[in-house]
Amino acid sequence: MVRAFALAFALAILLPVAAIAHGPTRQKVIETVEINASPEKVWEVIGNFQDMSWHPAIAKLEGDGENTVDATRVLTLQSGGIIAEKLIKYDVENKRYKYEITDVDVKVLPVNNYSSMLSVKGEGDKSTVEWKGAFYRGFMNNNPPPELSDEAAAKAVTGVYRGGLDALKEKVEAGG
Amino acid sequence: MRLKKKLRLAASGRMTARGRLRSRYAALVVFVIAASTTCAGDEPAPREAFITNQSGQSLSIVDLATFKVVDEIKIGGKPAGIALSSDGKRAFVTAPKGNELVIVDVISRRVAKRITMSGGPLGIAAHPSTGIVYVADWYAHKISVVDPDAGAVTAEVAVGESPSGVAVTPDGALVLSADRDSNEVSLIDTKMNERIGRVPVGERPFGVTISADGRRAYTANVGSNDVSVIDIAGRTVIATIPVGRRPYAVALSGGRAFVTNQYDNTLSVIDTSALKVVKTLAVGDYPEGIAADPARSYVYVACWFDNVLMRIDTAKLAVAGEVEVGDGPRAFGLFLR
Repeated sequence: MVRAFALAFALAILLPVAAIAHGPTRQKVIETVEINASPEKVWEVIGNFQDMSWHPAIAKLEGDGENTVDATRVLTLQSGGIIAEKLIKYDVENKRYKYEITDVDVKVLPVNNYSSMLSVKGEGDKSTVEWKGAFYRGFMNNNPPPELSDEAAAKAVTGVYRGGLDALKEKVEAGG
Repeated sequence: MRLKKKLRLAASGRMTARGRLRSRYAALVVFVIAASTTCAGDEPAPREAFITNQSGQSLSIVDLATFKVVDEIKIGGKPAGIALSSDGKRAFVTAPKGNELVIVDVISRRVAKRITMSGGPLGIAAHPSTGIVYVADWYAHKISVVDPDAGAVTAEVAVGESPSGVAVTPDGALVLSADRDSNEVSLIDTKMNERIGRVPVGERPFGVTISADGRRAYTANVGSNDVSVIDIAGRTVIATIPVGRRPYAVALSGGRAFVTNQYDNTLSVIDTSALKVVKTLAVGDYPEGIAADPARSYVYVACWFDNVLMRIDTAKLAVAGEVEVGDGPRAFGLFLR
């Protein structure tokens, strides 16, 4: 009893301190893939904001606004999860576009305030596709559960990029 | 430059000769500071930029004459905010994750002191004459008043929700804090250490910058994608200017305000008389901290994603170079000296 009380007391004085200890900071992930094809050819596959059929994790895309700024798309994953995204910047000249997630359940992708850029550079028959994202972890307060930690967020985003880029390479090199 | 090298050699001298070297070093430093202030006209040209690298947990020091990184100091605690003492001898760095205010001796380029703070220290500004430092506490919703010599918090001023940016008026009478989650700017009297006013601004103000004449303040409003222009004496917003997406901070130079737009990778350039955007400039990815040199030749922008400090020619309104710094530069505050 005494011990329980002491423990409760200890927790009571510790908790408020822990609760204001620190919060999340923004993280970044950059993944790339080298593809044996011209950047034009690669851009043909990935350059349409309304087409994510090159990514194996995505089952369905419903979009609005084509490739103009503020265009939207709703992705349904193979797992059934849904991610809503919005186009921030579309730059054909430099073969890149930037978008943000406007709505996602942290159970689908454990991130907050996520923005990302997909780009392709290269010369001749060699291309490099870069996919980079900036985001906060899924739990915006202190002491996140492990599945909503910084590490979990970075791991999930890395997984999405890696899965997409590796499949893209295979698809393009096999002839599109 | 040769003199500078000599200084550094002197500073790294052997233990036995340290005292002798130190006094000679101090004399040289005085000479260098005097020389640089006299030859640069009315305002001393800043010679270095102090860039907080949040992911890299360090402070990069960039020499502005050569535009090269001359040192990187380990800070820890995911550093974000930065301020320089008015004599340019100390850099004050907030480490939100370590709950620390880290004081760096700019001359020896070493951490001189670490002061434990409560909550989450973020924005920071130094008083122009008293040397007092004001630190925004993101979680405890207050501004901590810190005496850096005593290494202690001497007062706390309650403000709105999640204060982020702070700035001191040039006469030192007021501290302004951008209270992000209250959509307000607080005005704090520095003599009484009390909030004496609040001005509603756009949504989620983050950075706040005060004009050199002390009359106006500009907030970058992350939520409403605009800049609020405050008349400080009248305590009112006199203009709201739409800019790019997720504006972070504002720098003022020669009748213009330069605003970093994190999501657009651009700077919005505002004519501060006409109070409208006159140009949008492409910069690196996730531009964040921005500061103007007093000579008005350049503004410097830390690009968080690209790990670079860029400089913008304020006459040509064009990028005039970039230098690679540590990982995740934020440089939130007045980072030049």
